[in-house]
Amino acid sequence: MNIPIERGKVVTVARGQSTSVAGFSLSKGLGVVFRHWRRAWFEKQHQNVPATASESAPNAGNDKSKPTAFVTLEDMSKSYGTFTVEYPEQRIKLPEAYRNMPVLLYDDETGHELCTSCFQCQRICPPQVIHMTQAKDPASGKPVPSVAEFIIEYDACMSCGFCAEVCPFDAIKMDHEFELSTHDHPSLTVYKRDLNRPVSYYESIAPGFWAEARERAYKKLATNMKRRPGAIGIAPHLTEKITAAQAQAAQAAAAQAPAAKAPAKKAAAPRAADTAAAPTDKEAKLAAIRARNAAQKGGSAPAAGTAADAPLPTDKEAKLAAIRARNAAKKGGSTPAAETSAEESPPTDDKAARLAAIRARNAAKKGDATPSEESDQPAAETPPANDKAARLAAIRARNAAQKATEAAEQAADSATSTPEAPASSSEEGKPLDEKAARLAEIRARNAARKKGDQE
Amino acid sequence: MADVINHVLNTMLGLNAPEWLIIFISNSIAVTLIFAIAPLQMLFMTYFERRAIARMQDRLGPNRVGPKGIFQPVADGVKMFTKEDIVPTAADKMVHLLAPCVVAAPVMFMFAVIPWGPGMYAVDLDTGLLFFFAISSVSAVGLMMAGWASYNKFALLGAMRAVAQMVSYEVPALISIAVIVMLTNSMSIVSIIEAQSGLFISQVDVAGIPDLGLGWFIFSPVGLLGFICFFIAALAEGERTPFDIPEADSEIVAGYMTEYSGMKFALFFLAQYLLNFLLCAITVITFFGGWQGPGISWLWSMAVSEANPAGNPIFNVLAGILGTFYFLAKTYFFFFVMIWIRGAFPRLRVDQLMGFGWKFVIPLTIVNIFSASLWIGWIRWELNPDLAFLSALGEPYSFARWGFAFVATLVMNVAAYTLMTRINRSPDETIDELVADQVFGAVTLR
Repeated sequence: MNIPIERGKVVTVARGQSTSVAGFSLSKGLGVVFRHWRRAWFEKQHQNVPATASESAPNAGNDKSKPTAFVTLEDMSKSYGTFTVEYPEQRIKLPEAYRNMPVLLYDDETGHELCTSCFQCQRICPPQVIHMTQAKDPASGKPVPSVAEFIIEYDACMSCGFCAEVCPFDAIKMDHEFELSTHDHPSLTVYKRDLNRPVSYYESIAPGFWAEARERAYKKLATNMKRRPGAIGIAPHLTEKITAAQAQAAQAAAAQAPAAKAPAKKAAAPRAADTAAAPTDKEAKLAAIRARNAAQKGGSAPAAGTAADAPLPTDKEAKLAAIRARNAAKKGGSTPAAETSAEESPPTDDKAARLAAIRARNAAKKGDATPSEESDQPAAETPPANDKAARLAAIRARNAAQKATEAAEQAADSATSTPEAPASSSEEGKPLDEKAARLAEIRARNAARKKGDQE
Repeated sequence: MADVINHVLNTMLGLNAPEWLIIFISNSIAVTLIFAIAPLQMLFMTYFERRAIARMQDRLGPNRVGPKGIFQPVADGVKMFTKEDIVPTAADKMVHLLAPCVVAAPVMFMFAVIPWGPGMYAVDLDTGLLFFFAISSVSAVGLMMAGWASYNKFALLGAMRAVAQMVSYEVPALISIAVIVMLTNSMSIVSIIEAQSGLFISQVDVAGIPDLGLGWFIFSPVGLLGFICFFIAALAEGERTPFDIPEADSEIVAGYMTEYSGMKFALFFLAQYLLNFLLCAITVITFFGGWQGPGISWLWSMAVSEANPAGNPIFNVLAGILGTFYFLAKTYFFFFVMIWIRGAFPRLRVDQLMGFGWKFVIPLTIVNIFSASLWIGWIRWELNPDLAFLSALGEPYSFARWGFAFVATLVMNVAAYTLMTRINRSPDETIDELVADQVFGAVTLR
């Protein structure tokens, strides 16, 4: 019974056949109710509408839920069965434009926050709940395009989304998280530490919006990063995590490898490449971003090429190459890409860094030649320093494989897009424990294969 | 009950217990059972109703407390117990306190005459049916007390409506039931159920066919019309939608219950649901054979009873279980019908309610009394000594007479129904309009 009703137009609805005996139409009403009752019991959650465009969108969703696809019915008169969404267990996928409370974004890879402390959101906020302090260069005392502290009073925020709309850097976005109830009122004054969200998170909840904003956001970020000295502008929790990881690794290395000449620094994540906080690392960061942009623009093959012919004179260059290679792997679509994480070789050990880069290049080349056969090429030949490092390498390899699979999915040419083997190289460079190294190798290979099987 | 106790104590155990002790024990057990089972029925009914109405509205209903939400009524009970009892300052405190008791107590009394299975009754009063309806009318006093004592417009309005509704719908209810009294020649509920054994083709036994317990009065035209009228009246008595005018929440908050909270409110709630249960039960007893059903008479014939004191008590238990199952299944079916009607129809206005009761249902029940007397006359001619010679004509003649009575009363009742629908239409409404009215048909009574 589709009745398009225009404004002001009166529509007379035909009410079906009339009964011949007065009073018996009561039974018709009972029939309708009984049908609903029966169907609600025996034909649960019947959705008789084909999947719409909204459903075929990437199934991102909240990680805590098993999102059930609920389709909005075009014609409610054709729907039947219970349509209750049992909330804590089932959730309706929130629309991209859903907004609850604002959060701040930081770049996944560099850890840099997108916010430049321009005060636009603070000015526009109707209930005046946004407060921020601009960061200052400790050396010169001059303001830096980065934010030192950022506070949003969630308890008074009215979720208008003006801050997100006005932000020229796409740094503040509206979150989809709505279960914020608490007994602790002061906890609703949220500081930067708890406001920070990785870009990948925002991309998962609003892929369409981020696709629009992405290019200009990164462009502006690249410009601003040039003006940020040291660790300024890096998400604070990442800084702490990295320092902690470094300390832990140093301890472990000191205990296990008395023969180690240089203090072994161990990175926890790929972004560790940028967290050394040394001013000289600035170039490396810049290069990484450039490499990524190049990869984005120039397709996959050139990116792989740049990764391959890096000259690698210093460990800085090695890092750059590693980042480029990784980006290439990510963006690289059908072309095989190598994944290296040669981020943390000790400064004294240039050999290991070079080795890693070469290996990455080799892997890339090999993948080029034989894209379909024998794709499992774990290049973790260098034995890692200890078991922990081996495990770390395995995890990295698995992650890389996952990324490669995702890249392969995106590729149009599915015939040649076999999941690429990650070339994970551990670069402690000390052949202390061969068994652990082999273990890492096997794990990496298994992870890659598993990924491939799932494909 | 007393039979079984007597059998167990005196015959099986040889204790030679005095009669008063047997009566005391059996009645104590019966009372305990009633007071234990009645609130449990109410608890289950609230859950049953909420789940059923939810499905009718394409929802799920309570499903969080316990498996499938079965303990939801327990949670509600805990909530009720722990709620603050608020009495309005201006209320008549004594009457305010007494009102829920006056409403709830008669409902518990009514359970005394309800047989749950063969031999499973607390008392078999000779005027059981009269007792049932007389006691149920006491509730109206309690409602009026509640409305008056609350010192609240809504409460008073609700009470007035409730009393008006209950008083006017008791008339068709009792006239419908009077038909059954005519048919069974008894007001004892136990004998009304026993009269519905046999087969529905005839109220008398047919040779060669065992007692299937299907001689329900609903299978006669008189019983059918009586049932329809009685059930409508029962809806009004139990304040069920479409007659939930006394507590129309969209109009007068909660009617006479407006100023009640906590356990006093729970007592009203209990009384209401138990009254609904009892009305469904009495519908089942009078028109659907109560615990009668296939297999009961076979089990009962081997059990301990007055007719058969040497029987086996195990068969009492078996017949009781089967009879209780039949009785409760039928009762809950009719409670489901009440929910079903609640899911389907909107509330009537007060004038529609009164018009429908006095101008439609009561005339129909009076016609039904008339056709019932014809029915009884035709199928029981041979009971008149002057007409005893007719029984000599044999069984085919008896069946033909039964068939004639069936058709004649059916025609009478259908004609009465049609006439009432025609009479009751509003003066400016044509027959076509009447027929085209999809919501209530002729019953709209504009």
